[in-house]
Order: sequence, then C-alpha cells, then structure tokens
Amino acid sequence: MTRETPTRDTWVRLDNASNIFLAARTESDPKVFRVVAETDHEVDPLILQDALDHTYDRYPLYHAVLRRGIFWYYLQDSDLRPAVSPENQHTCAPIYQSDRRNLLFRVVYHRRRITLEIFHALSDGTGALWFLTDLVGAYIRLREAGEQQDAPTQVDLPSAHPTDDVADAALGLVPDSFAHYFRRRNRGEAIPDEVEAARELGASRPEAAEPRLPGERPAGLGRLLRPLEKRVYRVQGTRTPDNRTRAVELTMPASEVLALARAEGVAVTMYLTAMFFEAIRRSAGDLGTARTLSASVPVNLRQFFPSMSPRNFFATVRVEHTYGEGTDDLGSISRALEAQFRPLASAPSLARKLGRLIKLETMPLLRIIPRPLKDSILRLMNWGNNRGLTVAVSNLGRVVLPEPAESRVGRMLFHVSAARPQFCAMSHGGLLTVSFTSPFSETGHIREFARQLTERGVDVSVAAARVTEAELTEAALAGAA
Amino acid sequence: MARCEACNVEIEGSWAHCPLCGNVVTGSPAPSPLPAIPLSFSRRRILRALFLISLAIILASFAAQLFFSHEFANIGVARSIWLGLTALWLVVLTAARKRRNLAKSTVYLVILVSLICVYWDFLTGWHGWALTYTVPILCASAIVALLVTVRLMRIESGEHIVYSGLTVLLGLLPIGFVAFGWVTTPWPSIICGALSLVALVIIQVFGGRAVRRELGKRLHL
Ligand SMILES: [Zn+2]
Repeated sequence: MTRETPTRDTWVRLDNASNIFLAARTESDPKVFRVVAETDHEVDPLILQDALDHTYDRYPLYHAVLRRGIFWYYLQDSDLRPAVSPENQHTCAPIYQSDRRNLLFRVVYHRRRITLEIFHALSDGTGALWFLTDLVGAYIRLREAGEQQDAPTQVDLPSAHPTDDVADAALGLVPDSFAHYFRRRNRGEAIPDEVEAARELGASRPEAAEPRLPGERPAGLGRLLRPLEKRVYRVQGTRTPDNRTRAVELTMPASEVLALARAEGVAVTMYLTAMFFEAIRRSAGDLGTARTLSASVPVNLRQFFPSMSPRNFFATVRVEHTYGEGTDDLGSISRALEAQFRPLASAPSLARKLGRLIKLETMPLLRIIPRPLKDSILRLMNWGNNRGLTVAVSNLGRVVLPEPAESRVGRMLFHVSAARPQFCAMSHGGLLTVSFTSPFSETGHIREFARQLTERGVDVSVAAARVTEAELTEAALAGAA
Repeated sequence: MARCEACNVEIEGSWAHCPLCGNVVTGSPAPSPLPAIPLSFSRRRILRALFLISLAIILASFAAQLFFSHEFANIGVARSIWLGLTALWLVVLTAARKRRNLAKSTVYLVILVSLICVYWDFLTGWHGWALTYTVPILCASAIVALLVTVRLMRIESGEHIVYSGLTVLLGLLPIGFVAFGWVTTPWPSIICGALSLVALVIIQVFGGRAVRRELGKRLHL
C-alpha cells in the first residue's frame, strides 16, 4: 500500500466510549467480542489467509495498535500483518495487553467456523460485522475461483461495505462519529440546543417530534445515587476455573421466534429480554427483596446519525421490570419493556444523552486529569453503573451477506466477554442464534430460557463450550475413545 | 444429534450429560462447533506474584541495612555482598519487566542504580563517591550507549525518543551536584553534563520533528 505520509505519523485519540473498555476490563471480562460465520464446509486456512490479506488492506482502522499518552489512549497506525490461526483459545480471550504493541483483533477458524475477535475499544458489533462480511465474501469468492480452475487467478473482490473514495477514507483512523455529531464545533460557541439538533437530524422520523421524555433516567451521578428502595437483583455464581467466559449458544428458527414476538405485539429484542428476566427469576428460585431486574441494551447510533466509521458508535439504554407489582406474565413484561425502550432509543433522547456525555468529556478540568486517574474515575463510574444492572442483552438483528457468500454461510452469531449474564442475538439464513455468555459456570438461567422456548414449540439446539474440569475431562475421554 | 428429553433440546457436541440441566442425553453425538480448550492457569499471575514477593524482600533488605550502623566495621564485607546481591536482583527484575522498550528500561535502570549507590554511600559513612563518580559515569554511559544503539540498530525514533530524552535530561543533573558542592572532584559531573548538552543538540538536529510529534501525541489534551 502506498500512503502519502510515513505510517507512524497517523494516530487518533480514543473517544470516551472506547476509553471505558480500557478502564473496565478485568481478567474475566477482557472486553473482547467475537462475530462468527459458519460455512457449509471445513474452512481452508490458506484461502482464509489470502482473504484476510485482501480485507485487511481495505480497513486501515484494523492496522491500529493502542498506545498510552499522558492524558488519553490513542490508536496509532502500524506495519503489522495479521495471520489466521486455528481456534486454540477460549472465546473472547484477552487481546490488548498494555506495553505490548499487537493488533487489536484476531481471525481464527475451527471446523466450519470463521471467527473474528476484536478488542472492543477498536470497534463495535456493526463495525466488526462489516469486516467479517468482507472477509467471508472474499474467502468464498477465492475458494470458488480456486474450484473452477486450479491456476491462481485474479479475483475481483468487491466490498460489501459501500466503499467509494469517501467511504474508504471513513474506514481510516480519522473519524470519531461521537465528536462529529455531538461536540460543539468551535471553542466558545454555545452547544446548540440538543433537542433542536436531534430534531434536525431525525426530521424524517416521527419520534423526533416528541418533547422531553418522561421515562428517562438521570445520567452520571444521578445514576450512582439511585434510590436504594428499588433493589436490583444481581446474579451470583461460581466463577469459571480459569476465569474464561462461559458461552452457550441456542440456535432456533428465526421465523418461530418472530411469530411469538409478533403475537405479543413487540419487537424480538424486548421479547427475548422479557424471557431472559423470567429465566433469571425461575433459576434464582426466590428474588428476595431485590425484585427489580434490569438490562442494558446497546443501540446502534448509525441508524439515527448516519456514519460509515467502523469505530465504536453506540449508546446503551437501560430497561427494567419489578416483579410483584402487577401482571408478571411474559407478554405483559415484554410490552412494558417495549414501552420503556422505544422512547429511550429514539434520536432526540439519544442526542440529549450523548450531548451531555460529550459536554462532560470536553470540560477543561476533566481534560487535564492524567490518564491513570481518568481510568480510575471511569472504573468507579462503571462500578456504579454495574450495581444497577442484572443482565445485558445485545441484538445485531438479521444479517444478509452478498452472494455468493449468502448461500454458502449458515448461521451467524456473536459472543461478548461478560461481567454479568448476557446474551447476544443475531440471525442469518433463517436461523436465530442467541449466545449466552457469563463469568459464572452455572447454566440455570440458560436452561430456563431454553425450556421457555421449547414449551412454546420452538426447536432449539444447544452448543456449549466446555469450561469446568469435569466437562473438559469428559471431552478428553470422548476424544480418546 | 444428541437430545436432552428434560429440556427438549438438541445438543451439538459429544455431551454425555445435558450442558444445561445435567441429565443424561439420548441419541448419538455430533461434532461440536466449539473446540474444547484445556484450562490455563495464568502464568502471568504466578509471575506477578513472584515479582511482588521479590520486590518486598528487596525493599525489606534495603531497609534492614539501616539497623547496622556504619561503625560496625566487622560486617563491612557481609554488608557489601548483601547490598550487591539485592541490587543485582532488583536490576534483573527491572530489566525483565521493561524488556520491550530499550530506552525505557535504560531510564529505569539509571534511576534505580543511582539511588542504590547513593544509599550505599550513605550507609557506609557518606564519602561522596556515589555523587562524585557513580551517578555521572552511569548517566554518561547510558547516553553514549543510547546514541550508539539508536544509530546501530536503526530503532524507530518515535517509540524511544521520549525516554532517550529523559536519559539526556538526567545527565544534566550532575551539574547541579557541582553547583551545590556535593562532590569531591567536579570533573566526572562536568564531563557528563557536557555530553548531555551534545546529545541534546544531536537529538534536536536529527530528531527534533520526531520529538515534537511524539510529545504532541502523548500530551494531546
Ligand atoms: Zn437438559
């Protein structure tokens, strides 16, 4: 690749949303996530490497390594090249290690699966999905070209991600969409009324006309000081022996779940969230005095504020349900959650929330706090935030790949390293995969979740990664036999 | 594929018991889409524990020296051996931990060894040899070594320039020793200071842009 400037010149400060991943990472939750595509054949590593080389060149962001400054972390361009490897680490194993200059992602394969794992400070689920889509597209094309004629040929490898010249630039290190949309343009200029700004941005959307929303919670300190009478239930459990993330995948026909959600008049995400709450309640047996269950739900901001940047660009919304204060059947809970979620996940509400966050980020006093201290503050804020959360849920929705990959790829799914029980949903090729991850060995809540589905006539298949000594011994014995 | 009748689910992989409820499964096993990864007991955690224990013992050793006053002439040799061993241990630990950045580990070593020598001098009756000879010689050799390695090994400047700069600034300190009259002969300090000034000019001429860029990056507000 030719570039105008020597590569090391290119660097960009990490936005605040990404900084939290550095501050909040722990041994059991290294803030890594994976997206997976399952092909219809055993993956060929040589072709995959070839496809990775092609795709890597198109995504300058993925060339970045993470460095530490006095006040901020920053991403810096590097000359490193990635290599595919067989899957020989547990899911979401740590990627970033301070003082080590390595790439912030890895591509692994196992049997029919192509897996992309990313340190969350680099990119979010949507950004990662763009990369995986291009990677799998290139892989299938190269493979089919190889089948047709044995001699290596020039294969046209178009990108699924719309990459004209403008978009190509957007894939690089420069754009931080938070700054683009939510930061004041010049020093001294007053922040435009955020509601007005949002109205402009979301003018085509009916929700944008809504005034201040009643369901909105206080951010920042207000959240730390949440009144304690509404005690939030938090799942306790046994940590896995080597602190790895416990992952269990439930695969089911997408249409069956969609039909169940439609019957209750809600979207799939909130239907599954309500089912998750119910599963937690059933496996807990007794919630005690903490009868409120809450979930954090990431919202992709690109759907409201158009951005081609694969860097982090999402916000989280919190929904909750208190048991024993009215009807607690699955349908009622999911409708109540949907009623909370809709207005919070709208352009005006998100613009207001992010405007406040960015205002905080740009405060002169906070800017000059040295990075280690900033990390401690962020860690504390994260801890306060965690106290009010039972679970986290994330849904990347239905994915369609460009042909010929679309017809050669079966289910697609993703995992996130977890500080608390969590699920990640994604559907492709008519299959919905709900992946549960957790820092604990227990699978009681997943059992209750699966049973609720099968009670309603949904066909569920379970794939679990082995984490305990007993499970791994069993696998070793089965392998030896 | 295997089935768990209790959960009414299909199970991928060769599980004898349902991974959700632990009941015995029926049917024949299918290959698992997820590999079975053996447990790893973090080597890093063990190394960190060893490091912290070592550090505690070293610091305790240095502190313990205070109890043997320097009039105790008969423990002189034993004390030197003890101090020498703990100092060596500390140097090895530091070098191992900071091995990824040559210039960074040099800065750490210069500071550490200087402090140990000053302490040693104080313990043995404060003859001033540490400030007169050891510290200036240490700084000067570090500067020469860094200039040579950066040239010879073609180390990319951006990464190392901040710490090389710090080493050079450390080299200016001995001039202060002379000014305050802490030394018995001024020559080592003067030579070291002069060398630092020369190195400063060299860095400014050949790497000024890199220095400004690196500082701009690290100090970005
Ligand atoms: Zn079962």
